[in-house]
Amino acid sequence: MNFYFHNQLVEAKPGDTLAAALYRNGQRIFSRSFKYHRPRGLFCVSGKCPNCLMNVDGAPNIRTCITPVRDGMKVKSQNAFPSLETDWLSITQRFDWLMPVGWYYKTFTHPAMWHAVEPAIRKVAGLGEVFPSRTSEYEHAWMHADTAVIGGGWAGMQAAVAAAERGEQVVLVDDQPALGGELRYQKRAGKIPTDLIEQIQRTPNIQVLQDSYCFGLYEGNLLGVLERTPHPTVAERLVHLRTRQTTVATGAYETPLLFPNNDQVGVMLSTGVARLLHVYGVAAGKRAVIVGSSSTAEEMSVDLREAGIEVIAVVDPNEVVKAIGSGRVKGIQTRAGNFSCDLIVVCGPRVPDAGLVAQAGGKLEWSDAHGAFLPTALPAHVSVVGAAARETLANPGTPLPSSKRAFVCLCSDVSSKDLCDSIAEGFDHIETLKRYTTATMGPCQGRMCQLSAIGVCAHETGRSIANTGVTTFRPPNPGVTLGALAGPRHHPIRRTPMHYAHEKLGAVWMDMGDWKRPRYYRPHGATNEAECVLSEYRAVREAAGLIDVSTLGKLDVRGTDSGKLLDKVYTHRFSDLRPGRVRYALMCDEAGVILDDGTISRLDNDRYFVTTTSGNLDFVHQWLDWYLVGTGWDVHITNVTAGYGAMNIAGPKSREVLGKLTGCDLASGAFPYMACRETKVSEIPAVLLRIGFVGETGWEIHCPAECAEALWHALLEAGQEFDIRPFGVEAQRLLRLEKRHVIVGTDTDALTNPYDVDMGWVVKLEKDDFVGKAFLSHAAKNPSREHLVGFVLQGPGVPQDGAAVVVDGQPAGRVTSSRHSPAQQTAVGLAWVKTSKAKQGESIDVRVDGKLARAQVTMQPFYDPEGLRLRQ
Amino acid sequence: MSFLVPCPNCGPRSVYEFRFGGEIAQPRPALDAPEAEWQDYRFSRTNAAGVQTEWWFHWSGCRQWLQAVRNTVSNEVLETFLPGEKRN
Repeated sequence: MNFYFHNQLVEAKPGDTLAAALYRNGQRIFSRSFKYHRPRGLFCVSGKCPNCLMNVDGAPNIRTCITPVRDGMKVKSQNAFPSLETDWLSITQRFDWLMPVGWYYKTFTHPAMWHAVEPAIRKVAGLGEVFPSRTSEYEHAWMHADTAVIGGGWAGMQAAVAAAERGEQVVLVDDQPALGGELRYQKRAGKIPTDLIEQIQRTPNIQVLQDSYCFGLYEGNLLGVLERTPHPTVAERLVHLRTRQTTVATGAYETPLLFPNNDQVGVMLSTGVARLLHVYGVAAGKRAVIVGSSSTAEEMSVDLREAGIEVIAVVDPNEVVKAIGSGRVKGIQTRAGNFSCDLIVVCGPRVPDAGLVAQAGGKLEWSDAHGAFLPTALPAHVSVVGAAARETLANPGTPLPSSKRAFVCLCSDVSSKDLCDSIAEGFDHIETLKRYTTATMGPCQGRMCQLSAIGVCAHETGRSIANTGVTTFRPPNPGVTLGALAGPRHHPIRRTPMHYAHEKLGAVWMDMGDWKRPRYYRPHGATNEAECVLSEYRAVREAAGLIDVSTLGKLDVRGTDSGKLLDKVYTHRFSDLRPGRVRYALMCDEAGVILDDGTISRLDNDRYFVTTTSGNLDFVHQWLDWYLVGTGWDVHITNVTAGYGAMNIAGPKSREVLGKLTGCDLASGAFPYMACRETKVSEIPAVLLRIGFVGETGWEIHCPAECAEALWHALLEAGQEFDIRPFGVEAQRLLRLEKRHVIVGTDTDALTNPYDVDMGWVVKLEKDDFVGKAFLSHAAKNPSREHLVGFVLQGPGVPQDGAAVVVDGQPAGRVTSSRHSPAQQTAVGLAWVKTSKAKQGESIDVRVDGKLARAQVTMQPFYDPEGLRLRQ
Repeated sequence: MSFLVPCPNCGPRSVYEFRFGGEIAQPRPALDAPEAEWQDYRFSRTNAAGVQTEWWFHWSGCRQWLQAVRNTVSNEVLETFLPGEKRN
């Protein structure tokens, strides 16, 4: 297996991670640090520190020490120029006195200054670059189990087997490529328990998620699990794992010791050295000095000697003065003298990895006896086993005096001196210290630095560690890519039954919720949107137009009490509507605020056909259901939106077009305005509603969805001799605006009542009771402060939606809709103004193209104010 | 937010299948009740930090309105029932 590191071919052995293969091939510097661009090498070798982050196949910040090699991978370093070995920006170390902790807060206090330097700082400081052009596939999966065990070490495997023997379905989540936990590399701990691993693999009710980590334990015992290599076609898979019981067996991890130059290349955690040696067969160095006081240090010494690594000395942490070398370790200075070496093995404190427990609501309390924060007050559904519950602390050494500088936070280059300075500035609470210095907030999420930071804070403030406390644990930890959280790139799209007919007609699409609707049609050769819309407009005003309105919400309401329900929920009366008639329907809440509008047709005594606005269908359906709850009324509401296609034919020629296809008498005497009929059009069963949103003679036609495309074609064909045109949403908006018809949610807002928009006629206050009656009775007599009016602009230009209305130099309202009106030969629109201005002929100023333009208020439609054309 | 709601029709389901319908308010005032009473009914909520009874709609399931007794602090749903069903 081979991969490329900066275009150089690197050979890897089976089972190698990228970092192991690079190390074996002599690479020692793996990254440059965040702020000072100090060289950094392998440190934890377990994916817990930030030192090995690289760009792999275009993905930034990949932890190469836990990423298995695949043939042909392309690996590059990050945050270093021109190379890892020679990074020009390491010069920043010389100026660290210019950049104390929080220096950018103190230096760039003026916003203009910050904006000037921000790009440079962002370029210099930081992690990998994101390339927006790179795409990867991600998956989501949902799993359910009785018990989840997090951690595939000895304790986790035991817990999984025990639960399985109780007959439970078990999911075992292990972040390593193979089961065994620390037994895979800690020789002193024992041999890899092959029997136990085989037993787990044989047990049908244990499912193992290998190479997967749990990043969050959420309420309802939901675990967020990331599978790093589920299968070759996806980058990662996020598993929503729901369980009854969670057993945390995440073990303990080793953390650094503080001494000057403790971040140099060649300083490595003892567990990292052991992993390199026993998992990958790589010797971390030739001449080692071990820093540690416990038996661990002695055992490490034996381990290294057996592997042929020369152990120069074992030094107590309190004896260490500093590591010697410039960037790379050349030796170590101790109180007992100097030793020359190329590897400093740090046996640091081992911290129980109990963050998941804290996320789930458990507490971490300091135990002097164990020298660790141990999980207590566990929630009922969470248990902790193994080292995560009880690991003991190796001697962390005495924290450094504040004059000495050791790196506490490897992620963002925060030193012990920085922490001491911040405490001196007053940030002496562990949580404020964290926020001010960003220690524990980097990619390692505190795994490397939290205990040291607490130690320094406790020492410097003179408080005990117990009183200093621990910072809050929050998911996700470890970090998760945004791609994995976002999941597959699926976006639901709803297409109307006539979608492909529109496509052939050259539709230019717009999104309305999930729906795709033609905004306008671009016939062959046409390019200009305004011209296309204008010709669609002309067709409707002068001949005939056809628009797809299938997106309207459609509800079939049946039962003997249907009228009673509609009377209750809508402002108008529907129980007295005669079969074969239609009424405009307005729905308000108890405060009289307009929620939705539509039409209600009575098809039969006990059968109503209700339409709603496209976006509000679900809401209206739930609202009706809610008012039905507990009444015992005989009403059945069915959502038939997808079952019906709908189109609106409108224009002076529409009667002639439609008349060619139906036997239904369309003459105004037989089929007047606001009437409805169930009939057949072109042999297709259809409901015809004679209504006129666009202000011309017209019919809204509802028919079974599977016939809608055929009916659409039939109408266009029948209308050919009359120059019928399909029209889109943009022309419809212009046509309705000329009629001053309001669009709920566009022209109205969360405070609008019907009286504010001159729709008091829809509110039947004489009805016994209905939703909003109490408030609307009040509103009928007490006008609101603002009123929606029409306006006609006196000059050129068209105000944008939302443009300001100004009266006497004072802000006095806003425009909600405006278009150039062919009927008025100037811009017209709807605007909210002070109620005192809501009179015919009042003058207001409207902002157009950055200047104020005079406009005349009108309380009438801009087109056909008497509504004669509708009724023709 | 990732708790489970035990739907009386469908069993325990993820909260993402449901729409929240608000806490169950005080009874609707009489039509001629004073304005202040109506305002209180429409705009004031108890917003309890603890157990309260709420409306939920099982949108991705049985599409029924139901009532749930929920601890708003822990998000534990103690009980659910269909409106009108006698509570234990």
